[in-house]
Amino acid sequence: MKHLIESARRQVPRTDRRRLSVLSAMVALCMTGTVIAADAGHSPARQWWSPGDGAMLPAKPEYANGFGRFALVNTDGPIDTRKHPFFEPLGINGRACVTCHQPSDAMSISVETIQQRWRETQGADPLFAAVDGMNCPHLPPEKPESHSLLLERGLIRVFLPWPPKAADGSAVKPEFDIEVVRDPTGCNLHSEYGLYSENPTISVYRRPRPVINMRYVTASKFGVSNFIGKNGTLAAINPDTGKPVNMNLMADAREATVRTQAASAASGHLQAARALTPAELDAIEKFEMQLYGAQIESSGAGRLDEAGGPQALGPMAMANGRDGLLGNNLSNYVFPIGEGWYDLPDGKDADESARNAFRESVARGHDAFFYRTFWIKDSMHINSVGLGNPIKRTCATCHGMHMTAMDTANGWMDLGTTNLPWALEEPANPWNKRKAQMPLFKVTCHADQPPHPFLGRVIYTQDPGRALISGKCDDVGAIVIQQFRGLSARAPYFSNGSAASLREVVDYYDRRYNIQYSEQEKQDLVNFLSVL
Amino acid sequence: MKIQKIINHLAVITTFAAAGSALAAKPGDRLSFISCPIVRDTASVPCWLTEYDGELYYMGIQTDVSAPWQPPYLGHKVLVEATVSDKPRICGGIVLEPINSTVMPELDDSCNTMLPAEDKYQIDFNPRPPGPSSGRLAFDRPPPNAPAEPAELPDHQTFEITFDFDRSISFRHPGVMMRIVNYAQAVNAQTIEVTGRRGATLLSTGETITEGAAIAQRRAEEVASLLRGVGLKANVSMKWSDTPMDADGVEDWKNRSVTVVVSK
Repeated sequence: MKHLIESARRQVPRTDRRRLSVLSAMVALCMTGTVIAADAGHSPARQWWSPGDGAMLPAKPEYANGFGRFALVNTDGPIDTRKHPFFEPLGINGRACVTCHQPSDAMSISVETIQQRWRETQGADPLFAAVDGMNCPHLPPEKPESHSLLLERGLIRVFLPWPPKAADGSAVKPEFDIEVVRDPTGCNLHSEYGLYSENPTISVYRRPRPVINMRYVTASKFGVSNFIGKNGTLAAINPDTGKPVNMNLMADAREATVRTQAASAASGHLQAARALTPAELDAIEKFEMQLYGAQIESSGAGRLDEAGGPQALGPMAMANGRDGLLGNNLSNYVFPIGEGWYDLPDGKDADESARNAFRESVARGHDAFFYRTFWIKDSMHINSVGLGNPIKRTCATCHGMHMTAMDTANGWMDLGTTNLPWALEEPANPWNKRKAQMPLFKVTCHADQPPHPFLGRVIYTQDPGRALISGKCDDVGAIVIQQFRGLSARAPYFSNGSAASLREVVDYYDRRYNIQYSEQEKQDLVNFLSVL
Repeated sequence: MKIQKIINHLAVITTFAAAGSALAAKPGDRLSFISCPIVRDTASVPCWLTEYDGELYYMGIQTDVSAPWQPPYLGHKVLVEATVSDKPRICGGIVLEPINSTVMPELDDSCNTMLPAEDKYQIDFNPRPPGPSSGRLAFDRPPPNAPAEPAELPDHQTFEITFDFDRSISFRHPGVMMRIVNYAQAVNAQTIEVTGRRGATLLSTGETITEGAAIAQRRAEEVASLLRGVGLKANVSMKWSDTPMDADGVEDWKNRSVTVVVSK
């Protein structure tokens, strides 16, 4: 089957390869289903978790994926999901939190899973709800093209008021004007849902973030103060404690805590008619804060949690690890993997030799991540925070937090994934029949404000990111860095799903920063990322 | 102090005369100029250089966020306000120390020079390699203030906040802002007076550059807004002056400032 796909791939124009990738994914999904059945001896893993299912979530469930197996650890033990607000439908569209945060998909949702769900339900699953599971609510729900961004890139519509509103509901005065340049979804120019409607709204499209290892994601032990380290403005406040938070929870940092995020998601994504009760918020918070996840088995490297193996790997490493710790140093490491996977001998048979070779590749990938320098240039909120432009550093400079590779507090940055000229765009030429998928906005910074230091006064972007919340010109396209764990279970990558595979992630960075990775380095990095 | 300033001012004038005759600056000379930064790679961390009046000057190296001096940006000119040192050249450049530099806001594509590493330029005092650190910041930060009883604190305290040219609050300021907040909370401050200023710099060419007209107000408003936003109970008042500060070529960067007086 793989051969057939590769053969077909060679026969089609490059512009149609993404569609073929969708087909490949569907085929791979069928094969994945076979693997699951063959692994029935492990925990009773379930591929799709429907809202209101009522089943027990095991303490340590494992789920197959294209690179091996992903595992969760519920440190509170098995979770009874009956009447649990994370698992129960709370709104009119029948969704629950679990709809977009599937246990099998590292508590995010992969595009493979989304496609499978479409096939199995002919698009009737609550996942495809009009509110944000369609490119825009006014489109015909029965047509897959109405859901193209969800089906092809795993993107949920995020609709935000313009101008922005602060957490207390007050208006934020933006530093820039924004125009809709391209509206392939029809939403940003729509008379009811768009920027020029009675309630001006901007729709952007983003991947659901993984709800695992939240103790790390929300840690406030490093770099958190009342003032945002990257620009000196006020940090968001936990409304329950009155203390500043790290603002690393969401792509645009618009929610302060898991509780405020849950409350917002319930009214937005779930279309709940009422606010969550304190007891429901308690239950969601408790569940999320005790849940850990990571790849536990690698098709190439074997079991990742074996005794004496790399310290950073497997979900128990996450459950037992220290949060809020800077890892871009030789004291803690971002991902401590020890010395055991370097310079391995030949195995006693071909399988063991192949496993050892893969493990060595993972170790080399770690070193490429941790030690390989390149020039980081024109990246807002990294070059602009006192290091200079450019800087000669490594991946771990930005991905520096121990065990997750998130940035430190207030970790938004513009890597170019949504801003032109680096964002993925369809080539415009007479031979390319594909149309642009993503909206495009023109941002013009006001004359009384300093220009964006690397993009100037006029910026074209598919998603203004943090700027849709802060209103700041410097924040256009800045996205909060997310954790590296469970990557194998939740393609595609980047906030806008623009990298279909781990290889495309590596290729993006190679292009963006002219790193000039060798083919070996690229493969080593992919293998390394796949075991996290 | 005043005499020293006059002496320094004379040094500026001397420097200006020297610049006019294309003589190299001497140790102790003060230089203020706008130029393109240049980054030179080395076997370890890159160093930052700039050219002025036909001479190459060394500004500093890449370290980390703890550094007292932050490197400039390619793609922008840099305003350098510094003293010529008598130290041996580094990376081929005359050492400027102490140095204050600020990225000029507007983009300038002509500032794009990256020089490759050469064996003759080595950095042997590198406090922070380009990869992972040894587990500590490159420069020691001042120890955190020991918790003190409010009774031991003075009745009022003055804080000076300085800014980049034509810029307001930035990544440079969380530290000083937290010091203000901590003091205000410790003494249960009743009043906070914020005074914004508009700076100017006398360049070594004799020209004076002045910040935008509204910058003093913007600085005062932003600082006051942050202090109110953080929840201080004190009455926060503000004032500013649109008149640029006098520029004499001696630490003119200190005039791009806000003064915050916190009182019980």
